[in-house]
Amino acid sequence: MQVRPIGQPYPATEKGNGVAEFRIRFDGVSKYYGQQCVVDKLRLDIEKGEFVSLLGPSGSGKTTLLMMLAGFETATEGQILVDGYRVNDVPSHKRDMGVVFQNYALFPHMSVGANVAFPLQMRGISKAEIAGRVKTALDMVQLGALSERKPSQLSGGQQQRVALARALVFEPRVVLMDEPLGALDKNLREQMQLDIRALHQRLGLTIVFVTHDQGEALTMSDRIAVFNKGKIEQIGTPRQVYDEPATRFVAEFIGETNLIAGTVEVVEATSVTIRMNGGNIVRVAGTDGLAAGQAVSVSLRPERLSLTQVSGTDASLPGNTISATVTDCVYQGDHLRVQLTGAGDASYIVRLDRRSAEPQRGAQVTAFFSPEDCKVIAS
Amino acid sequence: MPAKTLQWLFGALMAAFLIVPLLVMMPLAFTSSLLLVYPIPSFSFRWFVELFTLPVWQRAIVNSLIIGFGTTALATVLGVLAALGLRRRLPMIGGLIRTLFMLPMVVPAVVLGIGMQILLARIGLANTHLAVIIAHTVVAVPFVIVSVSGSLAGIDRRVELAAASLGAAPQRVFSKVTLPLAMPGILTGAVLAFATSLDEVVLTLFVAGPNQRTLARQMFSTIRDNISPAIAAAAFLFIFGTLLLAAVVLIVRRKKEVATI
Amino acid sequence: MSGKSFLQKSGPLLLVAPLFLFICLFFIWPLGSVLTQSVSDNAVARLLPETAKVASSWDGQSAPAEGLQAAFVTDLRAATDEQAVGDMVRRLNSAQSGFRTLMSKTLKAVQDKPEGPIDLVALDRKWSQPQYWKAITDALSPTTDRYLLAAVDLMRNDAGEIISQPPKQTINVAIFGRTFWISATVTIFCVLLGYPYALLITVATGWKKQALLAAVLLPLWTSLLVRTAAWFILLQEQGLINSALMDLNIIADPLALIFNRTGVIIAMTHVSLPMMVLPIYSVLLTIPKNLMPAAASLGAHPLRAFVRVLLPLSFGGIAAGSLLVFMSAIGYYITPALIGGAGDQMISSFIAFHAQNSGNWGMASALGIVLLVVTIILYAVYERLATQRERSA
Ligand SMILES: Nc1ncnc2c1ncn2[C@@H]1O[C@H](COP(=O)(O)OP(=O)(O)OP(=O)(O)O)[C@@H](O)[C@H]1O
Ligand SMILES: [Mg+2]
Repeated sequence: MQVRPIGQPYPATEKGNGVAEFRIRFDGVSKYYGQQCVVDKLRLDIEKGEFVSLLGPSGSGKTTLLMMLAGFETATEGQILVDGYRVNDVPSHKRDMGVVFQNYALFPHMSVGANVAFPLQMRGISKAEIAGRVKTALDMVQLGALSERKPSQLSGGQQQRVALARALVFEPRVVLMDEPLGALDKNLREQMQLDIRALHQRLGLTIVFVTHDQGEALTMSDRIAVFNKGKIEQIGTPRQVYDEPATRFVAEFIGETNLIAGTVEVVEATSVTIRMNGGNIVRVAGTDGLAAGQAVSVSLRPERLSLTQVSGTDASLPGNTISATVTDCVYQGDHLRVQLTGAGDASYIVRLDRRSAEPQRGAQVTAFFSPEDCKVIAS
Repeated sequence: MPAKTLQWLFGALMAAFLIVPLLVMMPLAFTSSLLLVYPIPSFSFRWFVELFTLPVWQRAIVNSLIIGFGTTALATVLGVLAALGLRRRLPMIGGLIRTLFMLPMVVPAVVLGIGMQILLARIGLANTHLAVIIAHTVVAVPFVIVSVSGSLAGIDRRVELAAASLGAAPQRVFSKVTLPLAMPGILTGAVLAFATSLDEVVLTLFVAGPNQRTLARQMFSTIRDNISPAIAAAAFLFIFGTLLLAAVVLIVRRKKEVATI
Repeated sequence: MSGKSFLQKSGPLLLVAPLFLFICLFFIWPLGSVLTQSVSDNAVARLLPETAKVASSWDGQSAPAEGLQAAFVTDLRAATDEQAVGDMVRRLNSAQSGFRTLMSKTLKAVQDKPEGPIDLVALDRKWSQPQYWKAITDALSPTTDRYLLAAVDLMRNDAGEIISQPPKQTINVAIFGRTFWISATVTIFCVLLGYPYALLITVATGWKKQALLAAVLLPLWTSLLVRTAAWFILLQEQGLINSALMDLNIIADPLALIFNRTGVIIAMTHVSLPMMVLPIYSVLLTIPKNLMPAAASLGAHPLRAFVRVLLPLSFGGIAAGSLLVFMSAIGYYITPALIGGAGDQMISSFIAFHAQNSGNWGMASALGIVLLVVTIILYAVYERLATQRERSA
């Protein structure tokens, strides 16, 4: 990708220019607060029209990255490119990005209409056009009737939608959202997730969305970047990060998983055999450059495990088997959660369909899963 | 008597002790008597007439207005600028500078008065309105800083960041977001500055010449030398003036809230 | 690499600069002037440059030499500023009594004979006595600690040692004592009345709470002058209090309430009370409501619970309020000036008197410096307590 020379003006209106294939590129960006490294030589490309979530635990640097993109913080090193232009030194009011803050940051002294009109006024757009666009934007978030109200006279969800309308009304290159749904109750949050997703598809928006709610990230995103300590541990589609976690951190952070330590026994053409601590031998699909004797972990999602009451190894069962004893079983509404203890005191969580028969505590069972349903993680 | 009753009796007596002295003054402004005592023989406006026709009082009222508005303007401009500057963290010196700005509230007025008189005479400002305005500004500025800093601290930094991301250049963020949100504090500070100037006696004694006698200064010498109900009338103007100003501020604030679409 | 321009970085300083300069010019400089004034002593040196040149040749014991006398006459001939001459005479007379008449005689002689030598001893026999010349040569140094020493009733003897002033002339320590005593009394009254009142506001609810709070805030917003004038009306001989008491036949003759200590303390307590109530109230607000019931449930008698639980927790508020009240009280001028008698004037009145009525700026400044130092120390303690409380909160 070509980089426009430094100093060339960043055009305020031109959207996409054929030079860059990416809308946004973080090119080795770091941020230090004093000695503390908050974002560490980060690389990330975001395409036009893509919905990318930044997901990670508290303090992992998500907000900081977003603030650098919006121009509220300066990167200590590296460059940030937008449509091929280096924007490190472009002040935030010239970056043409719509930002939605967690607390919405509406102007308390302006009405809803004035809030939404603000970015248009800043761009010197005519009064008549402003009126039309404000109305369209408010209608889009179903708030057309409330344009005279002050933000303080709105509910949390309504304020959230005003913030959204305000960030979208001037058709920014990118929309940045920092935990925009964090303050809403569960039902409203799920409704807004669908609404934002729909707007994204309808308007072809490029959205960078910060959250630490994995469900939210999985529901909404085209791609998820999983953050840990200022680094991206993995970036991929929701399916990729869930089914094929690249690291132990990702496997544990997204969803629930059984992580079992073991050693590679044999590497074959399309699969490997692993001896797990406790003695069980399992076969896992994919070789991933593993070598015999290597220490690894196997990630096993609870819902991919099945149970049978028969104890001992049964050759008729497909794939891998583990003998274990049921130590607990809890009915959780939509599923049954079973806890098992296997050889070598290894414990496993299994998620069964809610219609399954409830296994007795203390019962000897066999858990089984296919080689495609687990993932080896180098450790 | 049960403890509860005793408790409320104490509260009522204390409230009376605090409030009654403020009230006794008012009716005496309308006495027809030559003496500043109760009972009031009959109702009369004569002391207000005296206030507005006797040259000493007339001049004092005009002086108080000139000096009051001068002080308000100077203290508000200096105080607002400084409060804006102190808003950002200035490492180390920030706290020191703030303490320095608050110090005029603490230093005994008489001591400051002596220094002011010496200095203003030395730089040739003695016995001018400007000298009195300067002296009053020194003691009024802390009030402006406290009230403006308070309202600035209440502004969410993210609201300003939002304005910037929506395309507002720094000056416009200031004029469209920061300033309107700080306005209640600025207005309150201005009223406090005016009230401080109106009420200032000690510094005025030192820096004002006969041509700069203010209403407060005139009241002070009237109480000391030839007490007359004119001071009750003047006190009435004082309280009325401050209330009026506070009401104006309240109305302006209300209006602003409605006016910003 | 920083994206901020020079202007953005130095912006805060540029904004603070105007007020900073203003405060330096019209607050720090005046206070500095007070300080220099309190140690400066150029009323004499300014007018007697020639005398100063030859003064060191005189041993200070014998009768002065011809040269010194001649230089003195030359200086007097050159001195035309009448006010400056007046200042000099006043200064000399304060060091050695008898100078006023001596100098008016001498000045007249100098005026009458604008040329040639004058025989001063022939003019007045006092000029043959060394102590008059000693007073002049002592006063030629441009700085002095005599005002600062006098402010706390000390002086230097002929040998230059610091000793107390003769009992007849000691007054300043007594006035400082009176000032601190009145201020302490007012502070104690404010604590005794203000603490229970603040407690009452804390436990009150609804309109009672609003009314009690309003009663504290309203005086704070009312002009100090108006409040003092109001007490004048209430306390005077035919004032409301006396006439009410007489109408109720409680007393036969009016009580003396004004122009004495009682009146000053009543009025000052009224003026200072809000400054005590508000800090205490703000601390009481932070104490959990259930502490007293908790103490009671543990078997503490209410009084014991108060002394062991509430009082220690609210001590910060009492300390802050007391410092505030005391600190402002020692600087009071208006209230004692209008309500007090001659024996109730506080230090500020004397400072103003020295400056305005007797033109003794050195003395006024020295007393002012002492008052200033006490105030600043109290303020430093107050700030310290405040930041400590902030940190622990
Ligand atoms: N202005 C600052 N000065 C110093 N350290 C900061 C500053 N802002 C953030 N940090 C630190 O940087 C780290 C990353 O913060 P950041 O706000 O980016 O985390 P986050 O991933 O958004 O977390 P959360 O999910 O809690 O919002 C934290 O350790 C934080 O303490
Ligand atoms: Mg964050």
